[in-house]
Amino acid sequence: MALVRHTVVATADDVPPDRDDWLADLTSDEASIRRRAARALAEMPDAVPVLCAHLANEQSLSVRSIILTGLIVHKSAAVVNGILPLLASEDANLRNSAIEALQQMPDEVAPHVETMLTHPESDVRIFAVDVLAALAHPKVPEWLRHVVTNDPHVNVCAAALDALAEAGEPDAIPALEGLAERFWDVAFIRFAVDAAVRRVRGR
Amino acid sequence: MDMITAPKRNPRVLVVEDGITMRMFYRDVLEGAGFEVEEAVNGLEGVERAMTGSFDLLVVDINMPKMDGYQVIRTVREDPALWRVPVITISTEDKEQDALKAYDAGANFYMTKPVRPKDLEEMARLLTGTAIK
Amino acid sequence: MTIPLAQPETAISDEEFAKFCEFFYRKTGIMFDAQKKYFAGRRIIDRMDKLSCPTFREYFATIRFEASGAEMQRLVNQMTVNETYFFREDYQLKALVAGILPELAAGRSRGKPIRLWSVPCSSGEEPYSLAIYVLEYWPDADRHDIEILGSDIDSAILADAAAGVYGERSLQRLPPDLIRRYFSRVKDRGYRISEDLRRSIDFSQGNVVDPQFMRRFRDIDVIFCRNMLIYFDDRSRRETIEAMYDCLSPGGYICLGHSESMSRISSLFQPRKHADSIVYQKPAR
Repeated sequence: MALVRHTVVATADDVPPDRDDWLADLTSDEASIRRRAARALAEMPDAVPVLCAHLANEQSLSVRSIILTGLIVHKSAAVVNGILPLLASEDANLRNSAIEALQQMPDEVAPHVETMLTHPESDVRIFAVDVLAALAHPKVPEWLRHVVTNDPHVNVCAAALDALAEAGEPDAIPALEGLAERFWDVAFIRFAVDAAVRRVRGR
Repeated sequence: MDMITAPKRNPRVLVVEDGITMRMFYRDVLEGAGFEVEEAVNGLEGVERAMTGSFDLLVVDINMPKMDGYQVIRTVREDPALWRVPVITISTEDKEQDALKAYDAGANFYMTKPVRPKDLEEMARLLTGTAIK
Repeated sequence: MTIPLAQPETAISDEEFAKFCEFFYRKTGIMFDAQKKYFAGRRIIDRMDKLSCPTFREYFATIRFEASGAEMQRLVNQMTVNETYFFREDYQLKALVAGILPELAAGRSRGKPIRLWSVPCSSGEEPYSLAIYVLEYWPDADRHDIEILGSDIDSAILADAAAGVYGERSLQRLPPDLIRRYFSRVKDRGYRISEDLRRSIDFSQGNVVDPQFMRRFRDIDVIFCRNMLIYFDDRSRRETIEAMYDCLSPGGYICLGHSESMSRISSLFQPRKHADSIVYQKPAR
């Protein structure tokens, strides 16, 4: 009893399954088997469409996580195309995971930003702003300024304003002050613009 | 006759919200109402803080990374140490089914953004039994 | 080009420092307060100097908008102190024996070992600390088989771990009776941990981002992964946490370092409170 030593050994590799085997495993009832399949498929660039399609139907957070990690590594236009629709998902976890993944792919997301920010639903525009809030792309401040100046919905503007507090430069101040004028009767906006201007100005 | 009253500590509120200016706003309103405020920037951190702090009120945003507000409330309600803490949820949604979803998860009150300072203050006081000064 | 080293108080305004703190906190979970301004400020200015950034604003734009995240990583390295010694962050060892082990033992059939994994184990202080703490402070230790594994990428440091010799500084948190019980003095070199303990830990060399290495570890009950992930980039961090998820038994636990936060890494694990500490649990199903 008490401390027992057990030597961890390397296991011999089985004959590696092929792509079709992995695709079959992706539909297994066992999450651990699906995880293993997702890991293997994530290494194959031509499996991107299959993985994206599977994501929408995958219920296990652990499998989703592995698929997304793999897709982020591929970082291609196809990946972004596959993940973007998930922003409109009713599944909060899936949506959040999609937002996080998109945040990791600034150059690939950039061509889509304008479309995302003009989506007819204000919630989806908010999620688009959430992507920008942690996106490492030099045009982020410009995109956010545009939202603050033009978006009709107060909550979309609030999200953009929040992101600008961190990412904005002093040239954002006119847009921020314009927002405070536009929503002069919303206490939160007045407060937040004030805070954002201080942050952006640096004093 | 002198009344000897026990020293009261300020009620403690945890604000769980990923937006910095929103957190600052809630802090401003709630500190002004006499609360001690702590913050968490996403749902998972919110649950951690709730478990290790001892709060009289939670203010929980619905749309957050890592764990959304509904999940935060459900987790808190399942925790024997936390299940009675009052929770105000705050959402961008304005549909009846979202309010129902919040109450279903165990929220005490549901508010939509942008939140009015007076509304937040009143509800915070009401839920914690804090008198108006 | 060199810029004169400015004082943190003047080079970085309070407002700018607040913005920096919020950014750093959002990304890492590490909070600086006003008292740490000098410490953090000094390190920021060092980095500004190395990158020839004349203003804080320019430096902040670098860490905010650099796609690779490389400068942020370097900054994190500068901001965190990593020292290893026995019973480091012992509040987690307390959570282990007061909460985690009793819970795991309750559902455990006799003969099925409880497996603890220290990774990175560095020069061995952590796995040996686990051994000592469990033997000393878990009343049921004798009724179970406990396996302790230690892994590190660095084979030289693993050799040190296997040798088990430590200086005074490393033992400073150990009560004298434990030192007497588990160590013997080695002339001019310090203290050597008992042969029994040295032989009871299984040390292995490998890289946590190597799937083949990680596949060796299964049915682990508790992983101590402290003060490693903070130094990883986002991709490696995700891959490692996902791999560790598979290493763990259902209901198994992972313990991170005090300056690390699972809430910045992954939502796969559930927070649990044991002995006033938060540790993370893989769902039972």
